Amino acid sequence: MSTFWLWVTLAFYSMGLAHAVVTVVRRQSAIFRVSLAALGLGFLFHFVSLAELGLTENRFPVGNVAEASSFFAFLIALGFLLAYWRYRVSSLSVFAFPLVFIMTLAAAMTRPAGPPLTPLLEQRWVPLHISLSLSGYAALILSFLAGVMYLIQERELKHKQPRAFYYRLPPLDTTDRLGQLALLVGFPLITLGLILGMINASASWGDGWLGDPKVMLSFVLWVIYLLLVYSRVGVGWRGRKAAVFTILGMAAVVLSWSANYLSSHHAFFPR
Amino acid sequence: MPLTVVGLNHQTAPVEVRERLNFSPAELPGALQNLVAQPGVIEGLIFSTCNRVEVVARGEEGANLPPLLADFLAAQRGLDRSDFERFLYVHRGREAVRHLMRVAASLDSMVVGEAQVLGQVKEAFAAARTAGAAGGVLEFVLNRVLAVAKRIRTETGIGTAAVSVSSVAVELARKIFGSLENRTVFLLGSGEMSELTARHLRENGARAVFVAHRSHERAQQLARALDARLIRFDELADHIAAADIVIASTTAPHYILHQDQVANLLAQRKNRPMFFIDISVPRNLDPAINDLDNVFLYDIDDLQHVVDANLRQRQREAHRAEEIIERETDVLLSRLKTLELGPTIAALQEKLHSIRASEWEKTRHRLRDLTPEQAQIIEEMSRATVNKILHLPISQLKELARQPDGLKLIEFLRRTFQLKD
Repeated sequence: MSTFWLWVTLAFYSMGLAHAVVTVVRRQSAIFRVSLAALGLGFLFHFVSLAELGLTENRFPVGNVAEASSFFAFLIALGFLLAYWRYRVSSLSVFAFPLVFIMTLAAAMTRPAGPPLTPLLEQRWVPLHISLSLSGYAALILSFLAGVMYLIQERELKHKQPRAFYYRLPPLDTTDRLGQLALLVGFPLITLGLILGMINASASWGDGWLGDPKVMLSFVLWVIYLLLVYSRVGVGWRGRKAAVFTILGMAAVVLSWSANYLSSHHAFFPR
Repeated sequence: MPLTVVGLNHQTAPVEVRERLNFSPAELPGALQNLVAQPGVIEGLIFSTCNRVEVVARGEEGANLPPLLADFLAAQRGLDRSDFERFLYVHRGREAVRHLMRVAASLDSMVVGEAQVLGQVKEAFAAARTAGAAGGVLEFVLNRVLAVAKRIRTETGIGTAAVSVSSVAVELARKIFGSLENRTVFLLGSGEMSELTARHLRENGARAVFVAHRSHERAQQLARALDARLIRFDELADHIAAADIVIASTTAPHYILHQDQVANLLAQRKNRPMFFIDISVPRNLDPAINDLDNVFLYDIDDLQHVVDANLRQRQREAHRAEEIIERETDVLLSRLKTLELGPTIAALQEKLHSIRASEWEKTRHRLRDLTPEQAQIIEEMSRATVNKILHLPISQLKELARQPDGLKLIEFLRRTFQLKD
């Protein structure tokens, strides 16, 4: 399995990384447009890379940690491009570009030595469970980043002493909407992913599936996001509270991911 | 390069001096013609605004322009040179180019980054071109100066941060609401400041404006000016929940809105954000309102703090602009060096004479039995031919190089004859 296209992708993504580094170090960057174009091109090559892998292996390309990482980076890049197209939030690039780069780099460096698939992953619904969950997480990460940007800008405006962030971050209304939209896209995706996971788990692991730490954490995670969606849509929460809650939700996501190391079923390869 | 700027501005001269030296647009063409008629002046430009009067001139090699230009100003304005000489600054060569760039990029302005000055430079340039006073090196320099100033406006944030209280209010509203399209503005009271701010908000898309009032007369006037709806103060509670932006400037000696009232409004609005601007002294809005989520309250001091911060921000951006100008000045000067008339003519002569000399060498070898006298006659003939051929184009070139687009001619010549820099 060649990683040629993935390295091409990475070369383009590195431009985005450069932009982010320059922005942080010099507090401004003249290469945003270039790096945006590079991200767009990289995104196309990334698609080629995923398609090549999928076609040669004849399966959905989420078979091991490296592949999942590559696919996830692809989704975040997609999310960024959509968010930028809709809201012109260029400052989001400072957070999103390095994330995309690092996940793709990790994928490119480990993939040739990728371990064989666990039998579990050959089941038909499992790749779909993984892809839906990853898509949901990508949307939730965007929602999280929007929440972080909202909170920083809100702080600037409440303190009335504008510093660097005030000039560079988007308006509150923009990040609030982006956060809400990403949440409303992400929640159904993780819900579907969770349902598929449950069906699979009960079918293949028997009665013990509920006791799996990852499964339990995922439920907690899902309830947190359910509450968040309800508070935003039903109660009319917005702004600071919603942003804080979104960040808590992300903490739960990270926790549930790290539970992959505790769960015997959620390891990508046999132990 | 013999470019000289002589002038004074708001930093060096008081308004009483500036106003006496000011040129009106109608006076410019005549003054420009007088300027280039001065001995030693080849091209010139007069830049006159309310903040500065500057004369820019390119002189002949060795001309001592500063006293000449000061005398020119005095003569044009019917003043004595000693009346204003102590306020004058002089920039020459590289400094002159750098100064022009700084002026056009609004680094030398009273409010750094203000947008007007670039248009004024453009007008002055157009006037000089129309009057036949700038076309050649000065034209080339000014084109470059305008391009650099535009680049600075787009690449740095020198003109983006708002620096007046009312425009800061608009900037803050944009930071909160994004677009102001169809936002509702409420004016409590009818001060001049709130009218200006409301007008700014309207220009940026805000729609419905309400004026709540106690004194009917002034409020009616204001409502007409802003195309706003009038409501009485006692009706306020029925309407104010619709307000996205509230500007308070009444003369009431107490708070007219308290935190709990605003908390109620927010509940009615499903937490849609509100922006309160309190420009009244004593303050009309309870400062505790700012502690509520999704509500932002700025009083007059807060707005002033933002103005100050924005000015500092412009200063930071101005540093970046200065860096750009240093680089662009070097680029421009080295470009100019390749486009100087004298070296171009010398290179052209050298080129043709070297062709002539090598052809003569070949011919002489073939005509072996020439006497030295004959050889000398033939060589002189070839030399004279080349000089005669060159004479007309060179004198034309000297003339045309000072016309508009003159430097393009030099560039054309350098390319067609492949003259080296």
